[in-house]
Amino acid sequence: MKMDLQEKLKILADSAKYDASCSSSGSNRKNKEGIGNVATSGICHSFASDGRCISLLKILFTNCCIFDCKYCLNRKSNNIKRAIFTPEEVCTITLNFYRRNYIEGLFLSSGIIKSPDYTMELLIKTITLLRKKYHFNGYIHAKAIPGANQKLLHILGFLVDRLSANIELPTENGLKLLAPNKNSRNVASIMEYVKQNQNKKYVPAGQSTQVIIGATKESDLEIMKKSEDMYQNYHLKRVFYSAYIPINKDNLLPTLEHPPLVRENRLYQADWLLRFYKFKVKDLLDSKNPNFNILVDPKTDWALRHLKEFPKEINTCSYYDLLKIPGIGVKSAKRIFASRKKITLHFEDLKKMGVVLKRAKYFILCSGKYFTKREWFKKEFIEKNIILEEHLLKKKNYEQLRLF
Amino acid sequence: MNNIYIYDGDFISLLNTIIYLIKKNRKPDNIKSFEYTPTLLDNTINLSIPRNEKIIEKIRRQFGKYVLRILYCIFLSEEENKELILFYLFKNTLKYQNQVLYYRNLRCVSEGMRIANYVIHESHKMKGFLRFKELENHILYAEMEPTNNVLFLVSSHFQKRLKNEYWMIKDTKRRIISIYDKKNFYIVAEEELKSRITKESKDEKKIEELWKLFYKTIGITERKNDRCRMNFMPKKYWKFMTEMRDEL
Ligand code: SF4
Repeated sequence: MKMDLQEKLKILADSAKYDASCSSSGSNRKNKEGIGNVATSGICHSFASDGRCISLLKILFTNCCIFDCKYCLNRKSNNIKRAIFTPEEVCTITLNFYRRNYIEGLFLSSGIIKSPDYTMELLIKTITLLRKKYHFNGYIHAKAIPGANQKLLHILGFLVDRLSANIELPTENGLKLLAPNKNSRNVASIMEYVKQNQNKKYVPAGQSTQVIIGATKESDLEIMKKSEDMYQNYHLKRVFYSAYIPINKDNLLPTLEHPPLVRENRLYQADWLLRFYKFKVKDLLDSKNPNFNILVDPKTDWALRHLKEFPKEINTCSYYDLLKIPGIGVKSAKRIFASRKKITLHFEDLKKMGVVLKRAKYFILCSGKYFTKREWFKKEFIEKNIILEEHLLKKKNYEQLRLF
Repeated sequence: MNNIYIYDGDFISLLNTIIYLIKKNRKPDNIKSFEYTPTLLDNTINLSIPRNEKIIEKIRRQFGKYVLRILYCIFLSEEENKELILFYLFKNTLKYQNQVLYYRNLRCVSEGMRIANYVIHESHKMKGFLRFKELENHILYAEMEPTNNVLFLVSSHFQKRLKNEYWMIKDTKRRIISIYDKKNFYIVAEEELKSRITKESKDEKKIEELWKLFYKTIGITERKNDRCRMNFMPKKYWKFMTEMRDEL
């Protein structure tokens, strides 16, 4: 029996939803004579019930797969309904959604059908149709299929804005255990190829990858080390962290009551520190502290452990020192840096610059003044206050939630 | 008595008024659009200054396009005293030139930036949350009700993105419509619009159903987070969003 479009979309969006990547930023495609363009800053069109941004039509081309990765809904051994789109169907949905401003573009991934090459050819066929026949200039993110011929990777890269190949598990052992058909060398060779060839025409928005958190035993240190390596070696734009959600029962998989969301959040915060705040993994974690503190964010945690470097004088410390202060972000650091050339800054001024004073005040001096008596500048005092504030905040949020 | 200076209600006329007041060294208690209803304590003054459109180019050249953009965005806001803030901000712009926005210790700068950022932020949200429907004649039609007057900013975005489509966007609160004819867009008052909004095309419902289905499917149940969703997508926007209307 022929499946209708509704049913296909339901199946193929459902199996695509676990990929964390959604962003549509970093590219700049102009609308020449067709439909669509790409906004450099990325646009969220909606937010799903889980609070994640919906920017792209995120679907699989097919959920048929010849592999049997333990953590995956689409694995060969699962007895689930299978579907496959035609290239025209993907175009119809994409274009109709795009015209109505539901989406920024398409994120096309796929299970592996027949062979990696065959799958990749299907993706290429679909995206070529979209770009060449329908002149679609919106954002396209495609998954590169590990193990496919490099020639195909070459063709695909010229059609899309972003490519990604997921490493899924941070260590070779994890991969062997849970994804026996996969091989980390295949993913690495995709990343290497894209890095070598990336330019304004080839994968203009760069490449990204995803790591699943909590399906295997790796520590935060191992995960962050892997990310740091990939940022350095392959110039990745983003590493996405996806809290493991138990979909399949398997005695190789952990049984978790809830997905490790706080841990996922800490990893994102730390990732941010690596990319924009000049932190190194070795600043944040070591073999004695291989996991992040669940109570406070990584930057505050770092500051508490390096209190000797504080308090920092807002009016004279370097730009990089400003970045290291909890409660001060890149934007506010830039504002402080520019403003203090003209005027001397006081505590009242900092709020106007977007500083989270509630957090920053413990770590700074303004023209030599501490926000309270200087004797209070002690680890115990600061730590206690910050943890208390976090706790109150959580409680407040919880109450707000109940009001809705 | 409060001296309230009256301008025509548009950006250019406001700038002309502000510059005139600065030149004459007058200190307004406030500046208001002609629609303003004075109170008993108000003394309204209508200057009838000749309109000078070149002022826009002049500001762009002298102080840069970023400063101009910020001034314009403040004007688009619904802030009560935006005209007065613009007056003081412009005064300081004459003093500090293109560096003015760094002086965040000045109230007019910090307030002005806060307001402008709010407008920019909302227009960015609207670029994502706006939903077009296809009408019988293939025209795309959208309605919105933003807090600030972002129709111009939103229209410039779709002029590039949906260049080869006819579209209309209506701000239902301000009763103004932006109409795009595949070349330019024009913003007109609703009652000036001659043509009627026709019925939806026959495929429209089908596509909407597909989108709603996608929306429901893509959320991960185990991660359900209403607070987070609400933070990013406040309820006031839901009314016009195809996938959210049912949840209201
Ligand atoms: S290759 Fe593995 S992760 Fe990818 S769809 Fe197949 S089973 Fe799932």
